[in-house]
Amino acid sequence: MNIYEVLETLFEQKLNLIEGLNSELYLPLDESGLEKVLNVMNENSFELISLFCVEDFAEKGFTLFYAFEITGFEQTLIFQYALNANQAPSIAKTFPSACWYEREITDGFGIEFQGAFDTRRLFLHETYPKDFHPLLKSFKNGPIETAPPSEQNDYVFKQVEGDGVYQIPVGPVHAGIIEPGHFRFSVIGEAIFNLEVRLFYKHRGLEKLAEGMAPQDCVRIAESISGDETVANAVAYCIAVEKICGLSIPKRALQLRTVLMELERVYSHLGDLAGMCVDVAYPVGASPFFILREEIFRHNEALTGSRFMKDTFAVGGLTKDVPAGALQNLSVYLKGFPDRFGVATAIDNSYFSVIDRFETTGRVKPEILWPLHITGPVARASGKRTDTRIDHPYGMYGELKLKQKTQTNGDVFARFNLKAAEVLDSIKIIQKIMSELASGEVFAPFQIRDGYVLSMVEAPRGQNVHWVNIKNGLVDRYKVRTASFCNWQAMEHAVLGNIVPDFPLINKSMNLSYAGTDM
Amino acid sequence: MQERTCEIMAKAISNVFKKPSTDEFKFGDAELEAICVQLKEKVDRVFGRSLAIRELDAGSDNSTEIELNNLSTPYYDVERFGISFVASPRHADVLIVTGAITRNMEIAAKKTWEAMPAPKFVVAVGDDACGVGIQNESYAVLGGADKIFVVDLKIPGNPPSPKMILMGLLALVHQIEKQTKG
Repeated sequence: MNIYEVLETLFEQKLNLIEGLNSELYLPLDESGLEKVLNVMNENSFELISLFCVEDFAEKGFTLFYAFEITGFEQTLIFQYALNANQAPSIAKTFPSACWYEREITDGFGIEFQGAFDTRRLFLHETYPKDFHPLLKSFKNGPIETAPPSEQNDYVFKQVEGDGVYQIPVGPVHAGIIEPGHFRFSVIGEAIFNLEVRLFYKHRGLEKLAEGMAPQDCVRIAESISGDETVANAVAYCIAVEKICGLSIPKRALQLRTVLMELERVYSHLGDLAGMCVDVAYPVGASPFFILREEIFRHNEALTGSRFMKDTFAVGGLTKDVPAGALQNLSVYLKGFPDRFGVATAIDNSYFSVIDRFETTGRVKPEILWPLHITGPVARASGKRTDTRIDHPYGMYGELKLKQKTQTNGDVFARFNLKAAEVLDSIKIIQKIMSELASGEVFAPFQIRDGYVLSMVEAPRGQNVHWVNIKNGLVDRYKVRTASFCNWQAMEHAVLGNIVPDFPLINKSMNLSYAGTDM
Repeated sequence: MQERTCEIMAKAISNVFKKPSTDEFKFGDAELEAICVQLKEKVDRVFGRSLAIRELDAGSDNSTEIELNNLSTPYYDVERFGISFVASPRHADVLIVTGAITRNMEIAAKKTWEAMPAPKFVVAVGDDACGVGIQNESYAVLGGADKIFVVDLKIPGNPPSPKMILMGLLALVHQIEKQTKG
């Protein structure tokens, strides 16, 4: 059955689906229609992958977009619900992951969600004035008058009470070179009884900054979402605009993008593997990974001029070709990589003290994977078969026929082993593409067109979703949902029952980006 | 009993002469080493052999944090030169600020600086902290580190490489040495 037949069977009626430019299917709905389809989505355990608001979409006030993944199909299904007033029904009780999205929309647009169980502000902290909603079109971006923190804006953490329960507040400034965020632990003895994560200290207003930018210039916004996902986000954004403009880029650009995306995955995973060893106080195990990671950074720089591969991607391909010598060096270097990497992983895999700390620690249980849309290596280490490169192929991944790797235990050890396996897979992908590298241009000229599209990539941390709307030749709305935005919520569950000293280890094994969440 | 002691002794002695379990790491960057040696000499003189840095991320895109962390990895290992990243601002001589200061971090950033004992120095690392990033027009940021701190040195870059950060630190210590002499 194709997706149309499947949906018709599910909804027991013919649907007026509008085909998007990148395998999305849009369905405009009214309130009763929305309730009905959301029930169907829930009964069939389809996952909410994003929920966002657009103002003046089709000249109609506020429109909410509910994006779903349909298991087994490349297409995504997006319900559009145009609001009559600044109110909408909350769906967070049915789809728990909607809680953060709804709070985000309330902060951004002032829309109230009726029946929501958590109505605290999300990315607007205490010093933002009341009734300030930065994503409204009527707000022109620029400095604002901040209010001194008032009790009215105070953020109330969940209170856990009982014999022997005490709280540990941590952050936003942490004891190392770590991004800022606040963790409120409720602890009994040493065991964590409850954790509440408060983020968005790094909220930089990137979505508002993108508004009104020329689509070509907005690549820099995509790059700055999260420094270590520069490539993933830049490519996701470029694919979106290229789809809108009906542009296909030269083969060599496609291939080089794939090489650079996988290099990003390699250095990111190497950092996690090293970090997990550091967090169990085992620097001997960490050093080999740190050495390999630094070498990859140097290859990145030789290839693109930037260790994080910034200013490398453009709508239409790449900003510049990579030097032939650098490619040759990388090719030689990668031949020796798997053996050296194998020695490094063997050090940790054979040391009882490391295994003792890794095993059974920070378990992500299968029952939260679907309701919270947990994604990337965190999900795969718990047995969820999910990988955007396979589920929604983009760029060259359709023809690469990747095989999925999963682990079952969902603990730190599973994430360690999974990431180690993925490093070697990425090296193979890079080698294969480099052996077939086409010659020719790396950039195709294009004309900017108006339109909107959803684009998804598998960043090192998991699925990143970008939705771009171009109106009158300028970016009208740029909404990004990174993997970390979803996976942070897995953290609150994974730490329960673990001891506080294991928290940094669990955190590192999940490798969540604060910048990528806070935007 | 004596036999057992001998056995243990023999094992211990053979371990000393055994091939080490990890290979010796060959360091290949002469230019970097030269910067670091100069830095060590100055840190020894000006800061009594130890320069303690507290890092403050006030809203970066996290790439600068990665480069600062890289300074402690085997290729750089700056602790060899008397430079350490400390957990508490109370132990710090220098505050390294990254990112444009977000409104949500303003209070925490000020508190971090206030917790440092004098004399204290502020270094802005990365374009955003130097006030030349792309976020200056945003409602959500105040601007570069100099919006709330007196900045002693700026190290621009998106992000600056570990080597550039070290060169920046060398310039800072040099500047402080000149000031204290003058």
